[in-house]
Amino acid sequence: MTRLLAESEPVVRLTPQARILAAVLAIAFMLLILDLIRRDKLLERYSIVWFLLGIGMLLGAIFPVALEWLAKAMGVRDVTIALFSVTLLILLALSLNFSVIASRQSKQITRLAQQSAIDGVEEQTEEVEGRDR
Amino acid sequence: MKKLVFIPARNEENSIEAVISDAREHVPGADIMVVDDGSTDRTAALARRAGALVASLPFNQGVGAAHQTAYIFALRHGYEICGQLDGDGQHPASEVARLIEEVEKGADLAVGSRFAGNVNPDIPEYRSTFARRIGQRMFSLLVSTSTRQTFTDTTSGMRALNEKAMHLFADRYSSEFAEVESLQQAVRAGLVVKEVPVHMLAREHGRSFIGPLTSAYYIFKTLIVLLIGQLRPRQVEE
Repeated sequence: MTRLLAESEPVVRLTPQARILAAVLAIAFMLLILDLIRRDKLLERYSIVWFLLGIGMLLGAIFPVALEWLAKAMGVRDVTIALFSVTLLILLALSLNFSVIASRQSKQITRLAQQSAIDGVEEQTEEVEGRDR
Repeated sequence: MKKLVFIPARNEENSIEAVISDAREHVPGADIMVVDDGSTDRTAALARRAGALVASLPFNQGVGAAHQTAYIFALRHGYEICGQLDGDGQHPASEVARLIEEVEKGADLAVGSRFAGNVNPDIPEYRSTFARRIGQRMFSLLVSTSTRQTFTDTTSGMRALNEKAMHLFADRYSSEFAEVESLQQAVRAGLVVKEVPVHMLAREHGRSFIGPLTSAYYIFKTLIVLLIGQLRPRQVEE
């Protein structure tokens, strides 16, 4: 029993340097997002998820207990591995989400192009009819 | 019967006028429309001068989107039959006229096939490169398997179709592998699809080189597209 408990305790934790670095990066990241929104390079709609990610990063750096709890819940003894896996999963989900958005937009662009082409033909036939009259 | 013959064309300034006059001669009474898929040359201007209607896509959208543009237009303007032929001069309009006849006789979609048999012994059979032929064989094997109907020329863009088929394709039409996937789509929707032996000409202008690697890639892509197509819900046309 004692051995099982000991094993479930994470053995590799984040060092203070890593935590400071992570906190600084998280803050810089959120500032970057703010700047992108301010300069109209990023729609608010797409920024929220990035903000959440930045906040998550910051929380992880400030409260390492949260990360250790996460590692324990995942059954991983190394906090850094837990962190990597979760980050990877989030990024995977996000990029899939963006592929879906890109597909939808490309379909919308096609429809728009087709509508504009058809409008052109209709103008042409009106011109011809006008001339005949 | 209100008929539309449309010609998808991308940078075909060398052949477009000849194709238009060919279509006018062999399909009398039909309106002729060129779907200009983002050409950067004088295709649209020449087509307009030749008296055809011109639908110009503002930028290149691929052959599927060009076909679909014509179907949407045809439905909106009450055309009952659409015939289509490529803008590069490979498709004789007299053959398209035969496809239109097939649709008048009751097919929902008639597809011209270069490989379904020699229609005119005086004209040599259509020739293409080895890699292309292998690719064609694979496509027709895959499409024939998935539709349980024999297709010998799955990439043929020489077709005629009625409103029922137009409705189906106006709703959803593959943008990348339009010709191949649309056959599966039509058969699955219960349309009467008929393959008609036709003869086509070798390309007059432009090039169409497909190497073995590209061919393999297309075969793989077709396989995926058809597998997904089998899993799609059936579109039902009454």
